[in-house]
Amino acid sequence: MPLSYAELEQFYESLVARARRRGIACAITSGMACVAFGVAQATKDCDLLCAPDAAGKFLDLLGEASLHGQLPSYRGHLTPPLDARWMRGGWTSHFVWEAAGAEAYLDIFGVAPRSSSPWEAELHGFYAGPHTVAEMKRTNRDKDWPFVTALGAQMLAAQDARGWLHIYDENLLRTFGGASPAPAELLKRRPVLQLAVANDSRLRAALHAEVQFWHELDRARLHIYQKALRPYMLAVKKAGVPAGAALATQHEIRVRCAEKHLPTNPLHAYGVERMIAEAREALGEIVQLSTLAWLPDVREHFRVVTA
Amino acid sequence: MRRKVRQAIYDFHIRAFGEEMARVNFLPLAERRRYVAEMVDHAVRKGVKFDKPALGVTP
Repeated sequence: MPLSYAELEQFYESLVARARRRGIACAITSGMACVAFGVAQATKDCDLLCAPDAAGKFLDLLGEASLHGQLPSYRGHLTPPLDARWMRGGWTSHFVWEAAGAEAYLDIFGVAPRSSSPWEAELHGFYAGPHTVAEMKRTNRDKDWPFVTALGAQMLAAQDARGWLHIYDENLLRTFGGASPAPAELLKRRPVLQLAVANDSRLRAALHAEVQFWHELDRARLHIYQKALRPYMLAVKKAGVPAGAALATQHEIRVRCAEKHLPTNPLHAYGVERMIAEAREALGEIVQLSTLAWLPDVREHFRVVTA
Repeated sequence: MRRKVRQAIYDFHIRAFGEEMARVNFLPLAERRRYVAEMVDHAVRKGVKFDKPALGVTP
């Protein structure tokens, strides 16, 4: 009998509650958070933010977190260890519960990708705040973008002006622009808003360029991490974790491999400025060059991960 | 103006997610969660896989 969605949701929420009782800062994000914020998404796996300093305590908790009698394991050869050193550097650890006929997946981040502020500062119950979730959804996957806009609209409707930063739909942006002016600070932070407020005909092309810019940034970021991962993946594969090994044993093997083969923060080593320059260059080949003038300064979105 | 904004948001949801999901998005939380649960459970029964690849880094 497969696990029902309700059962899974309850399991992940209780995991967060137990973690918080142990003093671990953590929050559910991505698809499950979107459902809570009024943008339904069909998802079964859980993305979780966990403070890097609490990685050890969270691993201990996972070691006791039984689901249908099964304890979790690390997933695949590519998964970095759940350890503060790599979590701070932007890696994701993947876990699976392989209960008979019913699997549950958990992905754990220490740093929310693209987040311009620490996610711990703003929690909504079991979930990360909509501002963090919307920033995390600025991926290179087209399907994520309507969620970003929907979250932004929810935030504006709830009088949170940061919603202006997340609206990527031309019609909606023009409507909001006509209804009330965006705060000056946000116009500076996101220049394309100036076109929306002025009802300028260049808005559509500028918005398209902005979305493509985030796509290119995400492509570049993933490439940097994936390239850094290969020697580690080969080492984990060679180490041959015994089937049925306890989570603590799996963890020790991964840490040993990571200490030798996995850079803790490949983005920092590569250089954020360099990555941004490459994304802009790639963008120049697919959009009108005049639209580049309306791109935001995205450096703040990589400060947390490279701090 | 507030009504115009509300309508624009709803129209966006229809354009982006389709009429049915737009309706679901504006349901009270408990009903929305129940709907998503039924949708996901039905898909799983029909063999849909929801797991994403474990790549060590997430988009």
